[in-house]
Amino acid sequence: MRIVCPFCGERELGEFTYLGDAKPQRPAADAGEDAVYDYVYLRDNIAGVMSEHWYHGGGCRAWLKVTRNTLTHEISAVEPAAGAGAAKVGA
Amino acid sequence: MADFSWDIRGPLDRALVAGAYGAQGDAGVSLTEIRNFDLVQVMARRGKAGETAKAAKARFGIAAPETPRAVAAADATLIWSGPDQFLVLSKDGRHSIESLAIVFAGSASLSDQSHARALISVSGDKARAMLAKLSSIDLHPDVFGVGAAAATSMDHTSVTLWRGNDRSGQAVFNLLVFATFAESLWHTILDSAAEYGVTIGHSEEL
Amino acid sequence: MRGDQANRLNNGGLIDRSTPLNFRFDGKTFSGFKGDTLASALVANGVKLVGRSFKYHRPRGILTAGSEEPNALVELRSGARREPNTKATTAELYEGLEAASQNRWPSLNFDVMSVNQLFAPIFVAGFYYKTFMWPAKFWETIYEPAIRRAAGLGRAAGVSDPDHYDKAWAHCDVAIAGSGPAGLAAALAAGRSGARVILCEEDFVLGGRLLADGDTIDGLPASEWVARAVAELEAMPDVRIMTRTTLFGVYDGGTYGAIERVNDHLPVPPEHQVRQRLWRIVAKRCVVAAGAIERPIVFAGNDTPGVMMASAMRSYINRYAAAPARRIALFTNNEDGWRTAETAIAAGLQVAAVIDARPDVSPAHRSLASKGGFSVLHGAVAGVDGGKGGIRKISVSLSGGARAEVEADGLAVSGGWNPAVGLTSYHRGRPKWRDDIAAFVPDGAPPGMVAAGAANGAFGLGACLREGFEAGAAAARDAGRSGSIGSMPVADDEAFSLTPLWHVAGKGKAFVDQQHDVTASDVELAQREGFESVEHLKRYTTLGMATDQGKTSNVAGLAIMAAVSGKSIPETGTTIYRPPYVPVAIGAFAGHHRDENFHATRLTPSHHWAAEQGAIFVDTGLWKRAQWYPRAGEKDWLESVTREVKAVRSGVGFCDVSTLGKIDVHGPDAGAFLDRVYINAFSSLAVGKARYGLMLREDGIVYDDGTTSRLAEDHYFLTTTTAKAGLVMQHLEFCRQVLFPELDVQLTSVSDQWAQFSIAGPKTRDLLKEVVDPGEDLSNEGFPFMGAREVALRGGLKARLFRISFSGEMAFEISVPARYGEAMARNLMIAGKPLGITPYGTEALGVMRIEKGHVAGPELNGTTTAGDLGLGKMMSTKKDFIGRVMAGREALTASNRQVVVGIKPTDKARRLRSGAHIIPKGETPGPDNDQGYITSVCFSPVLDQWIGLGLVERGRERIGEIVRAHDPLRGEDYDVELCNSVFYDPDGGRQRG
Repeated sequence: MRIVCPFCGERELGEFTYLGDAKPQRPAADAGEDAVYDYVYLRDNIAGVMSEHWYHGGGCRAWLKVTRNTLTHEISAVEPAAGAGAAKVGA
Repeated sequence: MADFSWDIRGPLDRALVAGAYGAQGDAGVSLTEIRNFDLVQVMARRGKAGETAKAAKARFGIAAPETPRAVAAADATLIWSGPDQFLVLSKDGRHSIESLAIVFAGSASLSDQSHARALISVSGDKARAMLAKLSSIDLHPDVFGVGAAAATSMDHTSVTLWRGNDRSGQAVFNLLVFATFAESLWHTILDSAAEYGVTIGHSEEL
Repeated sequence: MRGDQANRLNNGGLIDRSTPLNFRFDGKTFSGFKGDTLASALVANGVKLVGRSFKYHRPRGILTAGSEEPNALVELRSGARREPNTKATTAELYEGLEAASQNRWPSLNFDVMSVNQLFAPIFVAGFYYKTFMWPAKFWETIYEPAIRRAAGLGRAAGVSDPDHYDKAWAHCDVAIAGSGPAGLAAALAAGRSGARVILCEEDFVLGGRLLADGDTIDGLPASEWVARAVAELEAMPDVRIMTRTTLFGVYDGGTYGAIERVNDHLPVPPEHQVRQRLWRIVAKRCVVAAGAIERPIVFAGNDTPGVMMASAMRSYINRYAAAPARRIALFTNNEDGWRTAETAIAAGLQVAAVIDARPDVSPAHRSLASKGGFSVLHGAVAGVDGGKGGIRKISVSLSGGARAEVEADGLAVSGGWNPAVGLTSYHRGRPKWRDDIAAFVPDGAPPGMVAAGAANGAFGLGACLREGFEAGAAAARDAGRSGSIGSMPVADDEAFSLTPLWHVAGKGKAFVDQQHDVTASDVELAQREGFESVEHLKRYTTLGMATDQGKTSNVAGLAIMAAVSGKSIPETGTTIYRPPYVPVAIGAFAGHHRDENFHATRLTPSHHWAAEQGAIFVDTGLWKRAQWYPRAGEKDWLESVTREVKAVRSGVGFCDVSTLGKIDVHGPDAGAFLDRVYINAFSSLAVGKARYGLMLREDGIVYDDGTTSRLAEDHYFLTTTTAKAGLVMQHLEFCRQVLFPELDVQLTSVSDQWAQFSIAGPKTRDLLKEVVDPGEDLSNEGFPFMGAREVALRGGLKARLFRISFSGEMAFEISVPARYGEAMARNLMIAGKPLGITPYGTEALGVMRIEKGHVAGPELNGTTTAGDLGLGKMMSTKKDFIGRVMAGREALTASNRQVVVGIKPTDKARRLRSGAHIIPKGETPGPDNDQGYITSVCFSPVLDQWIGLGLVERGRERIGEIVRAHDPLRGEDYDVELCNSVFYDPDGGRQRG
């Protein structure tokens, strides 16, 4: 598999580490135990298109949101995480 | 009071044996370790990419790379190392972390990497063939031209790779590798290069 | 005919008659020529019997001339280089080649196990499943060794492979598998358009079937056209021709696996060279021009030596100038098979008869028959009379029902052609059936890939060239190349006519899968027993599961299944195709990564100094760490380690702790960031101070610990455990980039920048006074416990000094830039000499941390909470942090959790072992009474006995209780006392001293 890193270009799978579902958002500090439980444990495992966190640890160390079809491994989009390359925000 | 000497020991001082290695005849690969350099990681702070770029331009006279490139200033090479960050490679304290701290105060965070890396320069007819055993990057001249850079991995180890200016008509590939991995990676490089014949040396010149 | 190569034809062939090569087969010396394969050289020498079969030990010969060969498998080379199951049909001949037949004892001609043939009725499909079921304990001791002796596929060398293998990456616009007419035409079109092309050919010569079938292309003899095409391709700088290279697999994103047999054609690879190289080819497009495989017809005795594929006979005659037989019979169901009769006659060999399963043959062939003086029999081969000496007679059942006999010493068989659909089907693609050619053809392909020519079901030469050329041009265009592709090579298309015939019913064994000895009746039996699905058929009979992956047998097998189950072939379907297309040595996948290069290693800055001191090193992850420093006269590790601990506790010692992960945390929000990743507060830490921090996972379980120092308002220096360094960096980057992007914080690994040493013992200050500039105040007031700041060393060097202790002694950690690490070790030895300084390794470090009750890896084991470790009070209640909410769950705060406690044996002389289970006194060991286990043990020099830490239910409430340590693994059971986990200096006076 090859992933197009928005910073580095197309790279081989070995440079990346998979984390998992990128949908769940970390709840606010006062959200309560149920919300955090959902965030930590309840993950979709979609046979199809999924948004996933991948880490380009063998390259630029950016965390990426990869939209991937888990059946075909087709990757339709790759975006940097909000805090990757954020120095340009407001610049 | 005891008498101390603070001798420097580079990570390849013992593994590197200058001279010929591997297949006999014209060496296809030339390996040169560059020793004793200054290397500073510059990371723009949140929202400060513009200020960091201005500060870099003022200091080095050229724009710092915003994409995977390496650019040569008069007395330093600026190498892209990730989004909003680059490495400053220089000699003799001209751009030490202390001097750069003033330049980038408030705009970027700096981290000294001078001792964290070993720098190996690879050239020769078979440099690309040898590097193809270590690197998944396409080094074809049309794809990886002079000044191209990559934050990538070799032997599952992070490296910074860039193509310097050609020397005697030959491409020169520079590798910054982590110091504690350097000896292991060096042996892997030698194994990969042995079939082409290798000349090995070291230099203080960037 | 010349000399001992009795079956070598006088003229022709792509062999170099000026370079004879000697080789040995089963101890006997033969000669061949450069350009031969082992199989062609054996054919030239009239050797027909080359092996015994897998299950029945039947005599077998050479069936094919390519990588689909099921029979002619040999052990190539000898000693450590012996390689079993090497196909004689692809092994290039070299001077001194040594090969031995397989599966026979004591010799190929007299094989004791061939009595298995007499018992053949019991060796039916599923025999092993049905027979060797009970008792289970017989499996490993009796059944398996006996079965392995009787059946097998050659012997592994049994010793380490002396050769080197490596791996490499290649990149191109268009990768092409196969260099037959379609592959060459594709390469020409793509290369001319300016594309970067990689052309892989598994043979050592380019040309594919053109090497064996003399055709005409662009008005030139095929061999000349091939030579011109190759010359044109070789002149293109961006076209890379890789012979001896099989494209064996296709992976996601246009990545292809290929195996290059770099030096398999030499007895031993030249110095510094590899035997094989595994390529990962990244290609924008791929043209599969892998051709087609001629398929056998299944009939009784079809495995007799001398029965050969018709196309293989042409290869031996035309390409290798070697006659497989003198008097050849041909059994065909299609037009193409007839070319073998033409070839045989042209080579001056006799054709005994052509047995054609079709109702009629063309006038041209009729006239060939009369010219060649042989008869055309309409019917099918019903049996072969012969054995290890070859074929004697062939019996034919004629269409009208009558029988005929043909005397011949060779039988060429053509059942039609199967496109090589492997590569196009590896992404779970299912090929589709085409009635007109009675074969499966690709039905689509993985993204970026297209099949052309015979691999796509186009069997005519003209069609192969056209499809290849068009596919090459399109692939280059898709890759953005637009150069002029020039003119397309042109040739005629041969007539095609085929009447499907898979199996001729008759008496005697008729083999479908010759490598695995699966017969037509096995397939029928599988159907009767309900294993009708092709996937079941495959596993029940092992059809297609041998190293040839059923290249000559799969389609015939499922056609027979279709017939007996009353379904059509497409309804019956194919099994799933999986890579690799040909066997690939594990050594090639490992490449450089074997033995001491199994993984990269990391060396500490003082590594070579420690090696000079005679240190024993231990692998800790990728690191080599000094474990202890033995001295002359010490009888074991325990004596050395005990000495090191005593030296530290009474004087001073040092240890390289550079393996700890070190991370620079920069930025205005660095403190706020650390507050969120640690359970305790760091924004409140004063500049110049260090603090122990604990990180949780989001589920509330402890993740990592370490000391973090504040070096400036916006700069923290964070340390991790050695084991988790990389993972913590990844986790912190996740927090920075994904969870808390609003925080202005930057992270850099500085693990390799700093050489860090722990200096410990009551004489630490005396030592440091010698090393540090006299102007630095190291007193308790000037440098209190948990202080952290930059200091000057004697000689002007700047260092970072941290007053932290893992040993419980008065201790500092000192960091210098890594290239000064070795000098630091030497200078500490010089300065500490009057103080009796002792370097210590990881064992002594471990002993002192257990004596001090500090937790480490065995306690931070992925199941423990901060509370379990006795660190619950560190959890801040004033801020949010990762793991906070989940750590508060009922089960993680339950009062009966297993918590860290000290453990001492009641018998002071007893040795403790970690892993022993804690059982209450008087209870029976078992899951119901299991209250935890011993996690860490050491011999404590201070207490002069073994001590340990354990995770024990309610442990802290049970100090003083005697419990059982039960260790069924080592057969030990003894009493231990639960005690305070801090064995040494519980007040901490020494480290604060």
